[in-house]
Amino acid sequence: MNLLDVLDKDLVKVPLTRSDKQGIITELVEVVAKAKGYTTVQYEAVLDAVLDRESLGSTGIGNGIAIPHAKTDVMDHVTMVVGISRFPVDFASPDGQKSRIFFLVLAPSSEASAHVELLASIARTCTSQVFRRMLEQSKDREEVVRLFME
Amino acid sequence: MGVPFKDILVYLDGSESSMTAVMYAIKLAKENDAKLTAVFVVNTKALSELVKAGIFVAIERDEYQRDLQSDADRYLRHAAKLALQKHVEIETVKLEGTVHVVVRQLLKEKQADLLILGGITDIRSRREELASETDRLLRTSPCPVLVVRDDDDIWLEFEA
Repeated sequence: MNLLDVLDKDLVKVPLTRSDKQGIITELVEVVAKAKGYTTVQYEAVLDAVLDRESLGSTGIGNGIAIPHAKTDVMDHVTMVVGISRFPVDFASPDGQKSRIFFLVLAPSSEASAHVELLASIARTCTSQVFRRMLEQSKDREEVVRLFME
Repeated sequence: MGVPFKDILVYLDGSESSMTAVMYAIKLAKENDAKLTAVFVVNTKALSELVKAGIFVAIERDEYQRDLQSDADRYLRHAAKLALQKHVEIETVKLEGTVHVVVRQLLKEKQADLLILGGITDIRSRREELASETDRLLRTSPCPVLVVRDDDDIWLEFEA
């Protein structure tokens, strides 16, 4: 499992419009809920799972990236939402840098291996500073998808 | 290293395509009267990367480690059940570490003459970091590799 296995244009949002941590997480969950036609109950279950995980420690990992994630059996399979913000958002990253690139990763409890491999794939992919800069400057979802596929 | 194959190893990672590969491996082992081993790797390398990158907190790492162990046991049990259905003996092996490294080591130890894989992806990006573990196994295996396409016919034939 790697990032390209789950990259879906319908699950990419550029730009994100909220300006704080909770707002960004909510917006990312809204993207997946809308794309998959979730009920309010399902949407709230996913949002709670992500916020519960966030309460253990921030998922801002530095270099302008945050990877909020959670296990939730609302999902059938491992799913990823990509969001790019025009404005840096404080995700309490260890390097103190605010985040503009967000990956929301959701997985059912039965797909632990795929979940772990996807998170590791995201971390590896975003090690290039040049790539991060291109992602931050992408204008729309098509450009984000193209950058990953190049 | 012999033909027909006498010592076959199939790698499974829980994906549907790897289960197709297991079915194919069982049928091939039966046809060739070969020894069959199914291997699942608990990817502790990926877990370490996530802790190092600050994506996982300690409590989460421990939880996922348990989940990965359960995944491995569940899928290996399923492989054993499939082999039993076809009256084929199978050895199931659970390893930990970097997938392509520990599988390569096992292939050498067992002097396996064929590795069976499912789920090789098309080349979608030039980025090396987007290669999957299965792709790496294909490239680094010390013995011949057979790639099973994710084909519904294999499931139908197996269940017939």
